[in-house]
Amino acid sequence: MPTTNDSRPALLAGEDQVPGQSPGSRSLIGLSRETLVVRGLQVLLGLALIGLWQLAAVLKWPDPVLAKTPLQAWDYLVTTARSGGLWSNTWATMSAVLIAWVLAGAAGMVAGLALGLMPRTERVLSPYLDAANAMPRIALAPLLIVALGIGTQAKVALASTLVFFIVLSGARAGVRSADAEWLRLSTVLGARKHHLFLKVLFPVATPAIFAALRLGLIYSLLGVVGSELISARDGLGQLIAYDSSVFQMDGVYGILVLLAVIAVALNQVMAFLERRLLRWQPPADQ
Amino acid sequence: MTLTSSAQPAGRPPRPGPRPADAIALRGVSVTYSTPGHESRTVLSGIDLTVPAGEFTALVGRSGCGKTTLLNMVAGLIDPSAGSVSVLGTEPRKAREHLGFMLARDALLPWRNARRNVEYGLELRGIGRARRHEIATHWLEAVQLTRAEHQWPWQLSQGMRQRVALARTWALDPAVLLMDEPFAALDVNTRRVIQRKFLELWQSEEHRTVLFVTHDLGEAIALADRVVLLGHGQVLDDVRVDIDRPRDLSVIENDSRFRELHERLRVRLE
Repeated sequence: MPTTNDSRPALLAGEDQVPGQSPGSRSLIGLSRETLVVRGLQVLLGLALIGLWQLAAVLKWPDPVLAKTPLQAWDYLVTTARSGGLWSNTWATMSAVLIAWVLAGAAGMVAGLALGLMPRTERVLSPYLDAANAMPRIALAPLLIVALGIGTQAKVALASTLVFFIVLSGARAGVRSADAEWLRLSTVLGARKHHLFLKVLFPVATPAIFAALRLGLIYSLLGVVGSELISARDGLGQLIAYDSSVFQMDGVYGILVLLAVIAVALNQVMAFLERRLLRWQPPADQ
Repeated sequence: MTLTSSAQPAGRPPRPGPRPADAIALRGVSVTYSTPGHESRTVLSGIDLTVPAGEFTALVGRSGCGKTTLLNMVAGLIDPSAGSVSVLGTEPRKAREHLGFMLARDALLPWRNARRNVEYGLELRGIGRARRHEIATHWLEAVQLTRAEHQWPWQLSQGMRQRVALARTWALDPAVLLMDEPFAALDVNTRRVIQRKFLELWQSEEHRTVLFVTHDLGEAIALADRVVLLGHGQVLDDVRVDIDRPRDLSVIENDSRFRELHERLRVRLE
């Protein structure tokens, strides 16, 4: 082998091994030691937080009206789940979240990609986009409720105003991150405009779009619950508004915990999809 | 193992018919840019340069001397302000299907594994899946990366990445190779290995025309048949390198012809 038989260890036969991938220490259930430690600490932290909550309730701190224990919140959830009220309201909230996420996510992606590819249009629109995005969207809720009623539409509309801009900025930044050398090389190798979009600009934008969709899903929940808190026929936000108006704090806590669990679950699903679909990306520590 | 890369997989698209004697011809070429302050800056002025088919020409100059501009013009990425450029007897854009292109950075697409990066140019040129696979298999083997074919670019070392880029270039079976400081970003040891691999590929078959831009005078003399010095937008010198082929890069720097030429051109560059 005329090219490689001088002493260049880094480039010789054994180099086909992947750098930075050592077998590492694995435990019996397939998780690394590090992962087990992290999971263990997470469980401990969760228990400590529940303990603090219990302590605050027992000490009636900061106010006797607010003093409800974790168990009371749990009982509330079980009772409303049995009566069916919890499920119908959760469904009302989550269906609105998903509709807003899908519709506004798709629209934001198309708009973001288009703006990323059309710098002049982007320059014309940018002050308006910035202004719209800086507006506290919750302030739009009364307006939207008057316009669209207290059904699903108003919640979807409010959540969409959040999701749209988040995904738009992600897609726009993603397209812009294309390396000029990739475009130069592709052009010389014969790429036409649609090739440049499909084979370079869109793939390079996918991680940023994905990150924006992940964030957008949580903001969609925020928008829907916010709209429900102000006025809605049903939904978890409406339950919170009702329970707090009658000082039923165990209900408020129960639903807050439920919302937190939903948010974590959504985030985990998105993180899982991201890992599966973006396997070409180096892990964060590389 | 000596590479027999002339053993191209069968059924390649044929090279362009009777090729003109000059693969690349620039006649009276000038390039002028207008700067934001409405002043014009001349990057190249009145360049006449022809590269015969099958010749390995190195273009050497300091940064900012216009060598990359010249290469971009031959690649059809920019047009000359005056004069004419022809590649394989036609205008540069029309000759693109016969061009190979290599850059200082490997420019691998991170979302494609090594194999799919080698196939990239073939895909752009509309070659079918089965043929792409066959051609990529051949060239991955030629650069000794068969075992790494499914790895992502971030999993490859710098040298492996540039070898993928070499395979991607050769997979297109280009009649003309345009190279813009292709080894400049590599560390010294890796650079030596890749230079050899490159020279081995080039010498093992009917010679392809090469236009090789570099700022490294030693590299230019060691690899090329001819060295063209560029400075202040003009050709300062144009010399033949009469060192026999195949060349052994590990001893070439001891060759008296290498040292004489290096000294002569170094003085001209300063």
